[in-house]
This record gives sequence, C-alpha cells and structure tokens, in this order.
Amino acid sequence: MKSTAKVGMENSRACGSERQVVMMKSHVGMIALLAGTLAATAGCNKSDSGTSSTSTTSGNAAANPNSGDKPAEAMTGGNSTVDLVNKTDTELKGKTIAYLPVAMGVTLMEAWWHEIQAGADFSGMKSSVKDPNWSTQAETQALAALIGEKPNVLVVHNPNVQLLAKQLEQAEKAGIYVIQVNMVSNYKTDAYIGADWIKLGEQMAGDLVKQCGTGSGKSGKIQIIQGELTSATSLDQMKGAKPIFDKDPAIKIVSDQAANWDATKAHDITATVLQQNPDLCGIYGFWDVMTLGASEAVKSAGLTGKISVSASGDGARAACDGVKSGAFTTYYSYDAKQQGRDIIDTAKLLLEQGKTPGSGHTALYSPIEVFTKDTVKDSQCFDVTIKK
Amino acid sequence: MSATTSFRQAYLRARYRFSLAQVVAELLQKRWMDALVPFVVMVVVVTTFTQLISGYTDVDNLINTGREFGEFGFLVFALTLVVIGGGIDLSIGAIFALCDLVALVCFVHFKLPLVAVIPITLIAGGALAAVNGILIGFLRTRAFLTTLVTMIIFRAVFDILGQKYSQELMSGTPENSTWEWLGSGSLLGIPSNIIALVIVAIVGHIFLSRSRPGWHLTAIGAGRRAARHAGIGIEWTLFWTYVGSGVLCAIGGLFYAARLASAGSDTGLNSEIVAITAVVLGGVSLGGGKGSVGRALIGATTVLVLTNGVVRLGVVGGMSSVVLGATLLLAVAIDVHWAKHRHKAIAKLYVVPTYLALPPGQSTDEGPFKPNQRLAKSQAIGLDMVDGPEDCIIDRQGRLYAGVRQGWILRFSGPNFENREVFSKPGGRPLGMAFDKDDNLIVCLAGMGLYGIREDGSVFKLSDETNRSWNKINDDSRLRLADDLDIGPDGRVYFSEATIRYEIHSWATDALEGRGNGRIIEYDPRNGKTRTIIKNVLFPNGICMSHDGKSFLFAETWKHSISRHWVEGPKAGTTEVIIDNLPGFPDNINRSSDGKYWLALVGMRTPSLDLAMRFPDFRTRMVKEIAPDEWLFPNINNGCVCKFDDAGNVSESLWDSGGTSHPTITSMREDRGHLYIGGLYNNRIGRIPLEGSDPSWNGVESYWGKK
Repeated sequence: MKSTAKVGMENSRACGSERQVVMMKSHVGMIALLAGTLAATAGCNKSDSGTSSTSTTSGNAAANPNSGDKPAEAMTGGNSTVDLVNKTDTELKGKTIAYLPVAMGVTLMEAWWHEIQAGADFSGMKSSVKDPNWSTQAETQALAALIGEKPNVLVVHNPNVQLLAKQLEQAEKAGIYVIQVNMVSNYKTDAYIGADWIKLGEQMAGDLVKQCGTGSGKSGKIQIIQGELTSATSLDQMKGAKPIFDKDPAIKIVSDQAANWDATKAHDITATVLQQNPDLCGIYGFWDVMTLGASEAVKSAGLTGKISVSASGDGARAACDGVKSGAFTTYYSYDAKQQGRDIIDTAKLLLEQGKTPGSGHTALYSPIEVFTKDTVKDSQCFDVTIKK
Repeated sequence: MSATTSFRQAYLRARYRFSLAQVVAELLQKRWMDALVPFVVMVVVVTTFTQLISGYTDVDNLINTGREFGEFGFLVFALTLVVIGGGIDLSIGAIFALCDLVALVCFVHFKLPLVAVIPITLIAGGALAAVNGILIGFLRTRAFLTTLVTMIIFRAVFDILGQKYSQELMSGTPENSTWEWLGSGSLLGIPSNIIALVIVAIVGHIFLSRSRPGWHLTAIGAGRRAARHAGIGIEWTLFWTYVGSGVLCAIGGLFYAARLASAGSDTGLNSEIVAITAVVLGGVSLGGGKGSVGRALIGATTVLVLTNGVVRLGVVGGMSSVVLGATLLLAVAIDVHWAKHRHKAIAKLYVVPTYLALPPGQSTDEGPFKPNQRLAKSQAIGLDMVDGPEDCIIDRQGRLYAGVRQGWILRFSGPNFENREVFSKPGGRPLGMAFDKDDNLIVCLAGMGLYGIREDGSVFKLSDETNRSWNKINDDSRLRLADDLDIGPDGRVYFSEATIRYEIHSWATDALEGRGNGRIIEYDPRNGKTRTIIKNVLFPNGICMSHDGKSFLFAETWKHSISRHWVEGPKAGTTEVIIDNLPGFPDNINRSSDGKYWLALVGMRTPSLDLAMRFPDFRTRMVKEIAPDEWLFPNINNGCVCKFDDAGNVSESLWDSGGTSHPTITSMREDRGHLYIGGLYNNRIGRIPLEGSDPSWNGVESYWGKK
C-alpha cells in the first residue's frame, strides 16, 4: 500500500515542470534524481500507474516529506473498512508534526499543543514543539531549523504578518504542509485555523457601540488596546472595528495604543487613560491575557463594573473566572481546545489527501462564543495544565 | 669513559635544545593570545552544538544561520568599535530598529529607488549615533547613561513611527530584484549579508590595526588622559567612532529590512545585551583599548551558535537566556583569571634553561689571572656624576665620553676631566661605542638599536632592525639589546645583540638559560642594509676589530670564550674560538697599544653556577619555585681587566680585588699611556697610568690614522 501511494506521487510530480524544479532545488542526491526521472517517464506515459516498481522511492521521500498528489485509488483506500483503516494507518503512522508558537507557558498555546499531541499520539504520529519565548529572532531561527528538519506538517503562530512570510514559502517548497493558527502571515499556506478577526472586530465594536454609543447615555469614550501592531490579529481586528466605531458619532476613541500582548504594559496605559478620562465607557482589548492588566487598572481606580471591558481569548478556566469576577464585561471565546483539535485534524486531512504542499489554501474559522456575567457557565471553559 | 661522557653530553644537549615551554611562553606573549580563551570557548560551543544537533553543518542550515549571523555581526562590530574606544553604546538595538524602519518606509511608503534608500538609511544611522557622539565626545557625558537615554528615546520614536506606518509596511514590499538579493540572495552560495560583513570586517581590521585613526581610538580606550597628552584629538575621534558605529547598525538594519520586511515592535529589542555578551565573550575588554575585529567575530559566532543551538534543541522558553547568561559569566570569569595570571604564567615559563657543560676556567690562584690591586688606586673621573658608564671612549682631542643610564652621553674634558657636560641625549641605554672615520660617535643603544652622534651632538639612526628569522616565535627583526660594536676599515659596522629574549633590565636572567639567544649583526653603510651574520651566540658582548682589520673578535659572556670571525681573506665568513676557558665572564674587548687586546671580565665564574649549568632541570625548578632574588645568578660583582694576544694567550690582569672602586667592570680603553675603566653599575670612570705603554697611542688614530 505504502509503496503504491508513493510511487503515485512520483509520477504526477514529474509530469508537472514546477515540481521538477523544486526537486532540483532541494538537494536531492543523484540516485533520487535518476529515480525521479525514471518514474517520471513511466508516469507520464500511463495515466494510472499506481503499480510500478517500489525501490525508487526512498530518496525522494527523504528529501520531500510530502510529495505530490495521489492517484484516485490511493485516495479512496479500497472498499472495505479494514482497507480504510490500513490506508489511514499508512498515511499517518510515523509522520511528524512540528509546532511553533510565539511562546509556550500560556493557556492558549498550551491548549493547542495539548490537542496536537493527543491527536498525534492517537494516530501514531510524532509531535514536537519549539519555544521561542516571545522572541521574533528566536522564532525565525527555530523556523529555519524546522525547515531543515523537514517534518511532514508545520504548525506556525506568526508574531507578525511579515516576519516569517519568506520562510513559510520556503517550507512549503521544501514539501512541508504549513498550518497557521490564529495569527496569519501575509503568505497564505495550506491551512489557516483561527478566528475571523475582521468579523470578530465588527462584532466586538458593535457590542461596545451598543453599550457606549448614541442613545446609551454614556460618555462614548472608548479605549483600544492593541496587541503587536504588526500581527494579523491587531491589523484585522482594527479593519473590522474601525468602520463600526466611525459610524457612530457619539463614539470617541480616547486611546489607541499597542501593549504588545503584555499585561503590564496594558495596565500602565490604562492607568494613564483612566486618569485623563475617568468617565471612560469601554475598553476594547485585543487579547484576554493582556486585557487582564487593563482590568487591574480599572479595579485599582475603583471603576469595576462602571467600565465595560471586552476581550477575546481561548476560553480557558481563567476566562470564566474573569467574567464572573467582573474583570471582563463581555468575553469572546474562540475555544482554543477546539482550535487545537481543528489543527491536528486538518493536519491529518492534509496528510491523507496527499496534495502537494502549497497547492491550495483552506481556512477553518473558529466559532465565537460570547460570555457575560449572566450567561457564563463553568462548563463553557476548559482546563489545561501547563507542563514545565 | 670519555666516550660515554661525550655521548651523554650529546644526548643532554639534544634533549634540552628544543623546549616546548619556551614555545608556549613566547606564544603567550603575543598580543593575539588574548583571544585564546574566547577562541577555545567558541570551538567548544561550536563543536558541542554540531554534535548535539544533527544536520547542523548542512549547507542549507549554514546558509540560514549565516543570514542571522550577518545582521547580528554588524551590531557586534558597531559595539566593538565603541568599546575599543573606552565607551559603550546601549542604543545600537534601537538604531538598528529605526534604520530598519527608515529603510522600509523609504522603500515601501515613499517608493524611493534603492540608490536613495540605501544612502538615506546609512545616513540615518550615522545621524542618530551622532547624537551620542556629540554628547559623549564634545559634552563629555558618560557613555553608559547617555546611550541608555538615547536608547529609550530612539525606541520610543520607533514605536511612534511604527504605529503610524506598520499597517502599510506589513502589506508587502514592491518587487525589486536588488532588494530581493539583499534580503535572500547569495553569491557562490554565500549569503549577501555575509559578503557585506566580510568586506566590512576586512576594512575594519585594516582600519583598527593599520590606520592612524584606528590607533588613536585604541589609545583613547587604553588611557584617555595619556592619549590627550599624546596630542590625540579625543573629541572628534570619539564623535566619528559613534557615527561609524551608527552606520554599522544601519547596514545591519538595511539587511534585516530586505530579508524580513518586518518592523515588528521587538525588532532589535535587547540586541544590545546580546551584542555586549558577544563582545565580552570575544575578549574585547569593556575597559577599552583592547579588541579587534577578529575577536568580535569570535564572540558573535559563540553567541549566535549558542542562542541558535539552544532554540534548535527545543529547550523550553527562558532557558536560552539562562544558558547565554551562564556562558557569559563563565567566559568572563575565565577571561579575568587568564588576564590576571597570564603574566605570572609567562614569568614561570619564560626562562628555559638548557644543558651547558664548559671546560673549567684558567686558574686565578697563580699565573696571569692572579688577583692584585692594580686598579684599586685609580683616579676617579666624574665620581658620583655618572650613573653606570658601561663603556667609555676617548676622542682625538683627548676628551672622554661615557654612556649613562639616563640615556645620555656625557663628555669629560680638561686636564683632569673635571668638566662634565651632557654631549647628547640619544635615549635608550647607551652601551658600546666607537668612532667612525668621520669622527661620528657610533653607539649601541639598548632598546633602540644602532645610532650615530655627530660632533655637534645631533643623533642619527643607522639601523634598528635586521632580517627576521622564520623559525623564531619572538619577533627578532627589531633590535632589543644592541650591546657593543666595532667598525671595519671599509666602514662596515659589526655589532652584537646580546639576547633577543630579554631586555636590558633583566639581562642577567639570560645567563640561567645557557642558550644561544644572541647574535652578531652587520650594518653596511654603503647600502644601508642590516643583516644577521652569526646566530645563536651565547650572550655576545664585546666586539673588537683585530689590528689588521681582517677579522673581529667577540666575547661570549656565558660561554667564557673569545672567538674570531673573519671578514676578509681566505677564511672570510668563518668563526673560530681562540679562548674557551676564561675564569670569568668576558665583556668588552678593545685594542691595546702593544698590538694586543684588553678584555674586561664583568665577573668571575663560580663552581656552583658552573655545576648548575649542567643541570637544566635544577635551574628550571629554581626559577619556578623560588623568588628571583634568591636565584643562583652569575657573579657579576667583582671582575678584572686582562690582556690577550691574537693567539688567545693571556699575559696579565689588573684587579681591584675588593671591588671598592671597580665592581662589575664592563669596559676599558687605553689612550695616551692610560687605561680608563667603565662599569655598568659604577659611579665613576677609573683612570690608571700604564707603565711602559706608548704615551702617544690612541684608539681613534689606531683605526683611522692621523687627521
């Protein structure tokens, strides 16, 4: 089964000139080149050539973790249940998935990792993580290393839309499936899993306008706390939120600053904003962990409950607690646990479908659940243990 | 019996001829050895990570790592430049980030062509750093605080501008093949920024080590006050240093912009800390005045491989900073230890005794060397007005010259030499002297070389370097200890360099080695060339042309011997020993009026040292284990003057056996019926009448005839 599938990949790759170029680039040994050429000739002559020789595959498999589209037979995996199980086994067992978040030690990234690990273990896949600990420098280095290691699937969390763009392209060219989570790059890859930030921005801004805008009787003063300005999360939320705020003349954006995902910075900014605007109506935080710093400042100013604090986040235990304690007035959960499941499932799907890495873009946008003090239930939040 | 003895001697000579300790000690003295510890650390780190991480040395990986290295390397260079000048620049990370932003804004927002973007970025870097330069160079603010403040300001400017432009910048860059090449191109497989780094490294190395401003910078870093006293313009030098550092940051920022097109808020954040780590790990002294481009590269490599390696190993989170910090601490500790103990280690290793067995000396109980008191009642010239007249000489007019410790040549004149004047101040430590045919006084100046003094007292250089030996670690092209000279009839000057391993203040230590560390050198005034003619001589000292001018005699102090070297005739170029068993340590040789030669014995041999010379291990232990003032040294307290002929037969000797007037006799001159006695540590020049000698004979005429 295994060999059939692989040889199938060989053939289709050699027919397309683009794949040939990729193969030349990626330091394949002479034998692999020869083998590829042989298989190519065979494959181009016959349209369904899933049964040619088995010995020519090893070189290419090593150079390119996921090579090319599969013929129809390999995709369907025969007719019986046993066949299907065997087929999946072959396609997943021993495959590697590497995970590169901007940092670990945060429930959001830990929850994803937990699900990736569990899902990989279940299918006999190998999983690994590298932790750049918020350093973009370290993250580019780690990504370079991962491209060298050639896992089958790479899960990347982009600190900004530009930083890793070239490397992601490089990874796909090296034959790696690339899945981006929550913060997408300017370079779009095989899959994106995460919130639809533009829509979320519209939703959150809309809710705030309802609470603070025309007819609410409030001051209409809104503070926006962005994350890293250059990240997709910040850029896209602004894209969604800005027009909504602009539409209501009663809304005044009194502060729009970036706290770079840092709670301390958010706290300091908010403390200053509150001194200048004690009648602040709403705070729009781009991430829950960071916004908790703002909530602290609100609490210190004795304004808890008077200022509407909105933030989005993973929906872990701290989210429910925060809503209950009044730290968040409205919380928008994109359910990181479910996102983690989406990540690993997408990875498996990519592996099973066997399309050429970089041949298409898919996205799974996470549904948003809204928590307020009145509606929140403990069961809505999940627990994740952070392993050190 | 004798066969075994000679075999044993041959074995011992061979065994101690080459010494590893000597090689190590001389290597340790080299300036570049400061980088030894950093270099070893680098090698260990690189080897460790290449072992731990599979595929670390793959071409792809090296290219990827190289790209990271390029930009970081520029920052390390920028910091190194400033640190060598005794400063520090904490704002390099902020300047780097701002230049990255400037480049992107120019290129993406204003859509300027690259020919404009590149200079604008570099000028921006220089201008930002010029703020530091003005404050530190001209207003003399403290570098640390100044750059800390500018770092905060530049960072704030970056944040503000970043907020304004980032959204637009993040939408992608215009197509441009040159820009593309700067970011991800390569030449012959070498990444673009590495090519630039190599060029900058070469230029930087030449600048720092071969150019005047480079030396000025090092001088300022080593000692600001001394540099000012030396007339170096500190303000402008420091100003330009900071500007240069800013431009280097800008180059780094430019490549970063081209490679990642990213102006994220943590661009260059904390990179000053990492760069400082690299600089210290490379052995560039934070105190200033010490450092090089090479060391900066060593440090940068270590840090990059370390951080990169830790990330690659998948070590969790903050651990990479911990590893970096720990390594820094370790390297600094070793470096401090090394700096502190290096000189001690050199001192312990530097003296390398060898096996030296010499024939027993002639008897001093009877025969020509029997001690007497003929020098005891000498007339003292310049008593307490001369400090160590190593050599003395009398000119045609009968005036007496002596070189003294201050680096001066004194001249005594008058019927009883009561007029003392400073004839010339050539510097160095004046040792042997001779008049040439134009009545110029030619002097060996220890620490300087071979110099001449005209009749008006003005000084001119004859030679201060000779050909370098390819197999010596110590640079032996410079003259360290020119000792004595004489001049052949054709004008060629033959002079001795006593040792190439010791300076004048520790010359006696050379005796403990028993090694041929000295050489005889010839200076030919006809073509101005200097060349070594006899190598590996055991402390060559006095030199004197034979009366016929066809050969010269030279003394080897530690070998108790006099040899003759032919410069003319059938034997030209050959050397023969004429005396090998003197009872003391021979020093200067000069002609006597009766066709013979005067020889000063600076001290007498002792059986204990003679014995010790056959036991190199004993002397090695002695040097390593006890204080120098307790070492077994040659006796240079009491010697004598003797006379020998061309065949090497000694006919008489003159003593001051108590050493009250003339201890440590280093020279003597006969002139018009008198003998003048000089001593390296004496406080006078002695003069005694020579009965039965030619009262009209004098040295200058003996060489050059009447005028």
